[in-house]
Order: sequence, then structure tokens, then C-alpha cells
Amino acid sequence: MPLAFLIPVFSFAACPLIILFQRWLPLRGAPVAILAIVGGFAVWIVATLGFLGASADDPSCAVSGITGALTCHFTTEWFQAGIPGAAATVDQAIHLNWGVIIDPLTIVLLGLVTFVAIGVQLYSLEYMKGDPRFGWYFAWQALFVAAMLTLALADNFLLLYIAWELVGLCSYLLIGFWFENPGPREAAKKAFVVTRIGDVGLLVGILLLWVNVGSFSMTDAFAAAASGELGSGVTTAAAILLLLGAMGKSAQFPFHVWLPDAMEGPTPVSALIHAATMVIAGVYLVARAYPIFAASPEAMMIVAIVGLITALGAATIALVSTDLKRILAYSTVSHLGLMMLSLGAFGWTAAVFHLMAHGFAKALLFLGAGSVMHGVGAHGDVDIRRVGGLRRAMPVTAVVFSIGALSLGGIPILSGFWSKDEILIAVEHNLPVIFIVLTMLTVFLSALYMARAMFVVFFGPEGEDSHHAHESPVLMTGVMSVLAVLAVGFGWIAFNWPGNFDGFGSFVYYDHAEKFHFNLVLGALSIILAVGAFVLAWLIYVRRAISHEPWRARFAAVLRVVERRYYVDEAYQWVIDRVVLTVSATLAFFDRAVVNDVAVNGPADIVRKAGVALRLHVTGHVYSYALAVALGVIGLAIFWWLRSV
Amino acid sequence: MVPLLYFQLLSVALFGIGFYGVLARRSAVLIVLSIELMLNAVNINLIAAASYLNGTGRFAAFDGQIIAIFVITVAAAEVGLAFAIILRMYRNRGTVNVDEINLLKW
Repeated sequence: MPLAFLIPVFSFAACPLIILFQRWLPLRGAPVAILAIVGGFAVWIVATLGFLGASADDPSCAVSGITGALTCHFTTEWFQAGIPGAAATVDQAIHLNWGVIIDPLTIVLLGLVTFVAIGVQLYSLEYMKGDPRFGWYFAWQALFVAAMLTLALADNFLLLYIAWELVGLCSYLLIGFWFENPGPREAAKKAFVVTRIGDVGLLVGILLLWVNVGSFSMTDAFAAAASGELGSGVTTAAAILLLLGAMGKSAQFPFHVWLPDAMEGPTPVSALIHAATMVIAGVYLVARAYPIFAASPEAMMIVAIVGLITALGAATIALVSTDLKRILAYSTVSHLGLMMLSLGAFGWTAAVFHLMAHGFAKALLFLGAGSVMHGVGAHGDVDIRRVGGLRRAMPVTAVVFSIGALSLGGIPILSGFWSKDEILIAVEHNLPVIFIVLTMLTVFLSALYMARAMFVVFFGPEGEDSHHAHESPVLMTGVMSVLAVLAVGFGWIAFNWPGNFDGFGSFVYYDHAEKFHFNLVLGALSIILAVGAFVLAWLIYVRRAISHEPWRARFAAVLRVVERRYYVDEAYQWVIDRVVLTVSATLAFFDRAVVNDVAVNGPADIVRKAGVALRLHVTGHVYSYALAVALGVIGLAIFWWLRSV
Repeated sequence: MVPLLYFQLLSVALFGIGFYGVLARRSAVLIVLSIELMLNAVNINLIAAASYLNGTGRFAAFDGQIIAIFVITVAAAEVGLAFAIILRMYRNRGTVNVDEINLLKW
């Protein structure tokens, strides 16, 4: 378990190795990246076994008084700033540490990230075949995964922030991987800049905690927040600032705009971003910093509201999108909203559980979408109106994609159903009734758009683009099949199985272990909604028994607003055009007129003019110099004489 | 005996001529000559003062003469240096007219 820090190290090492030596490595170094992440996975298994066998007696482990979970720390000093001898006490020196924290949350997240990353990279071997920058792709993949793993392991905010920014950088590099085309280029910039806005909040939040706690250590910060030592104002402010960072990374309203555009990158990258890295970083941050949020009811309410708005809004957009990857992207946004909502509703375990279940299902769906693109030979967009009936040409993809869709749509016994149900229970239990009503609506919409994507693409009549479709290579379908098994079965670890396994909630929990429970009313309701949605979609898109055209006509105005994605992008554009550019122009003018012309060129001007005036005394005539010498001597003589008198 | 004042007047006259030469001449050679003239005017002054004031207790014996010999020595060194410079100047610029030696002028 002390070796857990090695999990990201392999991948970190793989990145420069591939970049430098890709020319001489087999397959441009792709196996290096895969071996590195497989190594990370192996270390994760060892660390997990070690953690399961560990107890509070272990010198580096203790049962945290705040989270109630067994937590192990392995920390080593990085450097200290401020000389201890010069400061009044040693404590005044700033100690900065490298450290890893190992608790159930880290364990499950690392498992998800390493596992999905292995799948995605194997899949990429086929998907990216023939790309001119094949090696670079795997180098960035390795760095991306390494950064995400570091983020999950970090036991202090400074290390977390470093990893956080690295994740942002890698997402930029990978989304803009095909930078020859304007779409990926713009999407990469958008992703970077939009998440940056949130990152500023995160940085300020971290510094605020540092000022008030005196260290970057998460444990110290959480202890201070939980004991009330931090003060309610500071706690709320810190929580909201951290939430800002989380909203940027996890694509919460109003920072969700980058995620749907991020699909411009290679599809396996989307799978990685949507399932295992990047977007779950935000949810992870809130889950990790939960003691700070829990200490502030206001912040919890904000988390819940942001989550609900995001979940519902994105679900409606997903319902009217026509691009397969865009539907999946908005679906991710919606489900991230559900996770945030769950966190805001004290459903900590449910949020983490949904994070996992959604991660497997969404990785599967994106890889499935990539398989569809590979199969029909599409690059970029897959318009679901132009493909259809792919189940004959691509049977394996059809089956696994359907499993992913059913799982995410919340069809019983698949994992998505159980995790969503846990969220519903938490929301119903801890939040006003309006929340559960809207969450139920989201659940229905979520099932409906997943059903729509699934039925239109794989069932129903054949589309114009699907004549030459062919099944993807066995490596791609193999990876998807493994993920499909998890999308089906992962949810079952929530149960209280006979023996001494009491379910997911007894391992990953906040404050107190939770047994699996099932609310019959909510469960029945969500089953009815989900199954109803799938039946409805089947009737509309496969049987064509019901037409949605009258509805489209009747709600044309609403539809247009939703199809334009609530004008959020336009609002951003307006703000940029009207506010940002105006302020920038003013500042640019100030820079030119005051900073440049007065402050910089002013002194230079004075010096130049003084030089022009003063150089005139250098006449070049020897006798004038001699005269000056003589006058000087005479002056000195007179001075001496006057003094002596 | 010639009064001390006459020597001093001669000295002042020579010094004035030398000073005028330094200021007014254009040729570097003549400027150096004028400087020599000023140095010798000082020498006359020193020796005259020394021979009149020797033994009065206000001067130690031969102080003036010793300083004059120092001045001559320094003058010799200075002339050697000055003419070396002037020679190089002539080789490089083809002139010893100080009005034309104005590279460092603005």
C-alpha cells in the first residue's frame, strides 16, 4: 500500500518516453502507454488488497473522525519555504508535502480510472490506426491518465491543484488532437478557457483555506471545517469556490458548454473524458472536500440546485439533439448533474456509486459510438437521422450499446438503475419535494433520450449512411464487451450479499456506513418511468405507432429554445462581445495611452532630450576643454584663497 | 642683485605665453611646446624663490631645486608620451590639427 504512489508514476514516465523515442518503439510506443497503465492497475490491485487488510492499528492508517472511514496517509516532505531558524517558531515555516491519501473513495476511483483507461487505450489501438500522430496520441493519453490518478491520490490541495491543471492541459491537447481542422481547435480552446474560469475559483478557494488553516493539507482543512474552527462564512466561501472549480471541470451549468463541443476530439478520448477522467474530477473534488460542504448548509443547497438545473436542462437538450455523440455528451452533463444533486442531498455514497456505474456505462456508450463511426466510415458527426438499423451490420456493437443505454436509462437489474435509485432516495429524503419531482422528470427524460439514440441508430429502418456499415475489429468489440459486463453487473455490488459483504455503502461512505436499502414507492415509480420511456421510444422510432410530429408543431417555440441549447452559448458570446471586449478595449487603450506612452516612453523621452541638450558641451575643440581646465584651476585657487583669508 | 620680483615677473610672463599657446594653438606639437613653457616658468619661479629664501628658515635647504628637478623629469616623460601620441595621431589621421581630431564629439 505504501507503493500506491506508483500508480500514476508509470504513466507519467511513459509520456516523455513515448514522445522522445516513438520513432524507434514498436507501434510508435503505444504498448508503453498500455503497459504503464496496466502496471498502474496491478499496483492498484495490490494497494486495494493491502487496504482491505489494513486496520486502524497500522501506523499510517487511522479511522478518520470526520468521514468515519479508514484513511491511510503516506506523506513525504517536498520542500519548506521560510527558513525555520529565521522564523520565530518552526511552525511558521511553510511545509509542502507530496502525499497520497488512501481511503475507500480513492480506491474505487483509481479502480475506475485505471480500468477504463486500459480499455480505452486498447480500443484506441484499432481506432487510431494509421493516424499520423499515433505516438503522440498515446503519450497524451498516458499523461492524462497519470494526472487524473494523481488527482485522486493527492492528500493536499497543492498537489491536487497541480494534477487538476494537468488534467485540463491534457484535455486541451486531446480534444484538439486533430488540430488541422477548425472544429477540434476551437473546441479545445473552449474547453480550456471555460474550465479555467472555474479553476480560478478553485485556486482562490485553496488559498482561502490555506490562509485560514495554515496548511494545504486536506486533513487539516477538513478538521478545521468540521470543528467549526473555520467560521461559517469562510467555510461557505471556501465551499462555493471549490464548487466553482468542480463546476468547470464537471461541466455543470453554466460551465457545461465545453463538454458537448469536446467530442470533436477522437472518440476514445471522449470516452475517457466522459467516463474516467476530467469530468468526474469535479464530482470527486466535491466528494473529497465533503467535510467543508457538509459544514455549510448554504453550500449544500447550492450544490443541489446547480446539480438539478444541470441534470434537467442537459436532459432536455439531449432529447432534441440529432448527433449521436452530442446526445451522449449532454447525457453525461445530465448525469454529472445528478451526481452533484446527490452530493447536495447528502447522498454521498449514491453519488460515488453513480459515478462508477455511469463511468462504465458511458465509456461503453462512447466506445460504441466510436465503433459506429468506424463502421459507417463517418468522421466527426454521426447524424442519427442518417444512420439506422445498424443492428444487422454491427450486431456486437448493437448489443453492447443497447446494454449501455438500458443501464444508463435506468432499466432494472442493470447497474444504472441501482445507482439512480440510491440518488432518488437521498433526494427524496433530504430535499424539498420540488427536487424529487424534477429529478423524476430527469429520470424519465434520461431514459427517453437513451432509448431514442439506441432505437434510431440500431433498430428501425436502415438509414442512408448505413449501407456500407461493417462490424468493428475484435479488439474494439472485446473492450466494449468487457465494459458491457460491468454496465450490467456493477450495480449488484450495492446489495447486502450473504457472507460478510454488506454492499458498496458499507465500504464507501461518509460519516456512517449505509446498508443497501430500496424504497418501494420510488423504485416502482422510477421503473415505471424508465420502462415507459423505453416503450414510448420504441413505439415512436421503431413501430412508428405514435408520431411525435404534432408535439413538435405544438411546442415549436419551446423546441427551438431547447434546440438552441437555451441560448447559453449565445449568452456567452454576448458577454464576450459586449463586456469582455469592451473592458479589454478600455484596458488596451489605458495600456497604450498611460502605461506605454506616459510611464514607459515618458522617462525615455526625458533622458533623450536631456542627452540632446547636455551633449552640446562636448565641442570637440581642445582649447575649450583647456579653457575649462584653466577656469577650474582658477576657481579652485580663488576658493582656496577665500578660505585661507 | 636682481630682485626676486623680476624673476617672478619673468615667470608669470612665460606662464602666460604658454597658457595662451595651449588655448590658441591648433597644432598638437605647439600645444605640447606651450605646456613645456608653462612648466619651465614654474621652474624659474621655484628656483628663484629657493635661492632667495635659502637659509631664512622658511625653506629647508635646496627644496626648490629638488622640486624643479622633479618637474624636469616629469616633463621629459610627458614629452615622450605626448609625442608618441602625436606621432600615432599623425599616422592615423594625417594631421596633428586638434580641430580635426574630434571623433568623440557629438
